[in-house]
Amino acid sequence: MAINAQQALGAALAGSSARVDVDIAPRFKVGDRIRTRNINPRGHTRMPRYLHDRVGVVERDYGVFSFPDTHAHGLGESPQHVYSVKFSAKDVWGREGGERDFIVVDVWDDYMDPAP
Amino acid sequence: MASSAHTRPLSDVEIRVKALESLLLEKGLIDQAAVDALIDTYEHKVGPRNGARVVARAWVDPAYKQRLLTDGTTAIAELGYSGIQGEDMVVVENTPEVHNVLVCTLCSCYPWPTLGLPPVWYKSAPYRSRVVSDPRGVLREFGTELAPETEVRVWDSTSEVRFMVLPERPAGTEGMSEEALAALVTRDAMIGVTKLKA
Amino acid sequence: MNGVHDLGGMDGMGPIVVEENEPVFHAEWERRVFGMFLPIFACGYFNIDELRHAIEKMGAPAYLNTSYYEHWLHAYETLLVEKGAITAQELAARRAEIAQGAA
Repeated sequence: MAINAQQALGAALAGSSARVDVDIAPRFKVGDRIRTRNINPRGHTRMPRYLHDRVGVVERDYGVFSFPDTHAHGLGESPQHVYSVKFSAKDVWGREGGERDFIVVDVWDDYMDPAP
Repeated sequence: MASSAHTRPLSDVEIRVKALESLLLEKGLIDQAAVDALIDTYEHKVGPRNGARVVARAWVDPAYKQRLLTDGTTAIAELGYSGIQGEDMVVVENTPEVHNVLVCTLCSCYPWPTLGLPPVWYKSAPYRSRVVSDPRGVLREFGTELAPETEVRVWDSTSEVRFMVLPERPAGTEGMSEEALAALVTRDAMIGVTKLKA
Repeated sequence: MNGVHDLGGMDGMGPIVVEENEPVFHAEWERRVFGMFLPIFACGYFNIDELRHAIEKMGAPAYLNTSYYEHWLHAYETLLVEKGAITAQELAARRAEIAQGAA
């Protein structure tokens, strides 16, 4: 049952990607303006609190990954796209945010909506 | 006198670790040699020297640099680096116009195959809390002063994608060999908290 | 969950302390905790998201006052008991044996 040393090193070198090999249409495309949802689940999430209800721009589509909010709770992978989204520090922190500072965060489809 | 290492009482955490490991070994769930091999690999073989070789190659080989910035995972694997916590790699380039710095505000995600295991400060609450809200202040504490017009991008690793910074090649390094260049590259520059000097 | 692990933007966490020439591990127990990571994972009792959540649920004082590898240890113990790989009783009994033997 236990993996031996060779298998362990093999597994370390091979890694185990969280990508899910299913064809799912992205909800967003590069250049889209999005607004993050103000979600406060009691369980696991990878949506940082400081990014609730913030407007950003999609910079890359990384492809389809499992969704931590369900995967952490035995509720399946809920595969969906993850995007690189750029937020301005002014938008995130208001007056205290740096004029030329940006935060780039990976955001799942279910964490955001289109923004006008 | 007997070695004090044998007489010192075990701490609570040492007792917990010994208890868990011995139970798992006894039940056949883990194998001692596998645990030892992983420790040895990540303590002695995997580390920021890997990332430094990637950076040096990118500095001397423009085609490689292009591949690295387009598909980090594949380009890094060309040099033999791959595996857990580096399955999907994105490399971001520091330039005089744009300075990138990495963090994981929610846990301590870090690109193991190229940088090894993260230092304590990277995993600590002070760094994780502050670098997103005051990146220039944090960089200043690391001795890195950025021009006001330089754009700062803080990459918060919330997903399973892992990042690495391609630092600026220092001035005065023209004509240096790839190996000599790799020796200039530091872990902190590949996290983005410092710049490199020749 | 809106836990203390979600640190981005919080103030008052203190200064950033950098250790010069920091070793990869600071103690033998840290080595063991790290080395068990993949072998325990390979048993298939839990996934990485469950591991992270187990750490998030450890409670704010414990989270802030213990180190990274103690977070991992806490997650292993909690999840392996929850999933039935070991029992809390046998873990407690083994700790007592080790504590006595080492005393």
